[in-house]
Amino acid sequence: MMRWRLVMRLAMRDLLHERRLAVCSILGLAAVLLPLILLFSLKYGVMQGLREDLIENPRTRMVVNQANRAFPESFIEELSARSDIAFAVGRIRSLNADARFVTAGRPAEPVLAELWATGLGDPLMGGATPRELRDVIFTVAMAARSGAAPGEAVTLRAIRVSADGRREALNLPMRLAAIAPAYALDRPAAFVEMRVLRLVDGFLNGDLPATALPEDIAPRATTPYAGFRAHARRLEDVPRLDAELRAAGVDVETRAVEVTSLLNLDRSLSLLFALIAGVGGAGYLLSLAVGFYANVERKQRHLSQLRLLGLRRGEVVLLPLIQALVVGVAGTLLAGGVALGLAQVINELNLAGAGQRSVALIQPWHLAVALAVTLLGAALAASFAALRAGRVAPAEGIRDA
Amino acid sequence: MTAALCLEGVRGGHAGFVLEVERLSLNRGEAVALHGPSGAGKSTLLDMLALARAPELAATFVLTPREGAALDLRGLWAAGQDRAITDARARHYGYVLQQGGLLPFLDVRANIEIPLALLGRSAVGRVKALAARLDITALLDRMPATLSVGQRQRVAIARALVHTPDIVLADEPTASVHPGMADTVMALLREEAAAADAALLLATHDPERAARLGFRLLRLCPDPDGAARSVLAA
Repeated sequence: MMRWRLVMRLAMRDLLHERRLAVCSILGLAAVLLPLILLFSLKYGVMQGLREDLIENPRTRMVVNQANRAFPESFIEELSARSDIAFAVGRIRSLNADARFVTAGRPAEPVLAELWATGLGDPLMGGATPRELRDVIFTVAMAARSGAAPGEAVTLRAIRVSADGRREALNLPMRLAAIAPAYALDRPAAFVEMRVLRLVDGFLNGDLPATALPEDIAPRATTPYAGFRAHARRLEDVPRLDAELRAAGVDVETRAVEVTSLLNLDRSLSLLFALIAGVGGAGYLLSLAVGFYANVERKQRHLSQLRLLGLRRGEVVLLPLIQALVVGVAGTLLAGGVALGLAQVINELNLAGAGQRSVALIQPWHLAVALAVTLLGAALAASFAALRAGRVAPAEGIRDA
Repeated sequence: MTAALCLEGVRGGHAGFVLEVERLSLNRGEAVALHGPSGAGKSTLLDMLALARAPELAATFVLTPREGAALDLRGLWAAGQDRAITDARARHYGYVLQQGGLLPFLDVRANIEIPLALLGRSAVGRVKALAARLDITALLDRMPATLSVGQRQRVAIARALVHTPDIVLADEPTASVHPGMADTVMALLREEAAAADAALLLATHDPERAARLGFRLLRLCPDPDGAARSVLAA
């Protein structure tokens, strides 16, 4: 038998021999760990719920400029290329960002809609990106007002009045590709490809004739945009982007205050949890350390007999350490198992009034971290006992009175 | 007879007590009984012989194993080689303590197997044979707490001899047994140590019994002037 297996066996046999004391240690550890795991699962579940509320709504991560300014195409490209920005697109002057849509349901009464540019990966679209240049996506409010359904042919109509008072209309046949998710915008609006928007802008400015087509518009804009719409990749990026753009002289509208509040709440709760876990854990580890130390004192004769028989100093040191780790693993498994059950009860009974959402969330990595921290703590607690065990002299074992 | 352990000019002690050993040889197959009044230093000498306490001074402290080269223990102590000394204890020594010194969390079989496990040797056959010789086969699966003192001593003798050590040390192994049982334990120890060709040294308060059973007697003499000093004369 390899010596390490013998050491392992000795540690386990001793633990089993005093199984009542071992069970007490395991229960003591589980009693401290269980509320900590539950507390953390509640904190994690509540914060995760609040986060999801904000993340599920891409408007939370939206960053738009407030006043019309001139932003070259390169500025939009730079925004798009940033790792903290998921999507960016230009905006035309708000005065020109309106058009009417003629639909089959209301041929005589075109419906007025805001025009928004969109593109591949636009978080507001929830995956319903226009596939063709002439595709348009309506907001829920616009779909309701126009009575149009996806797949239907619609006509975008923009009207300009020339200096001599002549009315001229741009009529662009399009296809209603999809209806945007409700969170996209709560007003009647239409999302179109940027070239369509620039066509309308050019026509209303008098730069393009009524016969101009979006296919004729260059993909890259030569004239600057009046604004932009960007979406941060993560919630945490919003306050930083807000501050950064404002510092660069760009007035932006974001939900940075809400996001910062949530992140501050998360930090405060984490700190509170760390404080509770720290004080509770340290107290228990101290009692564990004292217990292990007392155990070594009590078993001094047995340890010295093992030294006398030929167990090396380093091997004797391992005995309390192995026992501490076994107690740590068993205590964590017990606490983790009970915590999982209690979390399920809390969620099923809807004790926190969170509806379908789980308010107590325990992820496998939570238990893995709990186990790692417990094992580290147990090893630390047992290290004093281990050092004491290492100092036990073999001569003490000879006197067997 | 060849010497398994040879000491000369050894001096050691603790807490102001000094023990001097002018010369001592423990020969293979020989049984020696160490006696002397309380406080004469039997325990100190036993500690040093058991390699559990380093001497302050030693002209010679050599262990000559059955196989392999002689071990200069004085050199190992001087070099602070605790691991080598521990390994020498495991390989070359067997111990029988007052109440057996069995580990309470191991059953009898596991207790006997420990010396073999420490040496990485197989226990198959050896434990069984020894248990049969010592009449403890029926006790192998029992825990030490369920044994009588006499049974514990038999198990301790088996554990001391299972790895065929060169030296067997016993610290008053009959002190806790019934007087009627003392002869049996002492004789068994002597017989088994001789069968294993090991040198046996036994500390006792009962030199008459030891002499009757064929032990060579060694007397530790306290200083006649009352100083905290004992001498084991050559």
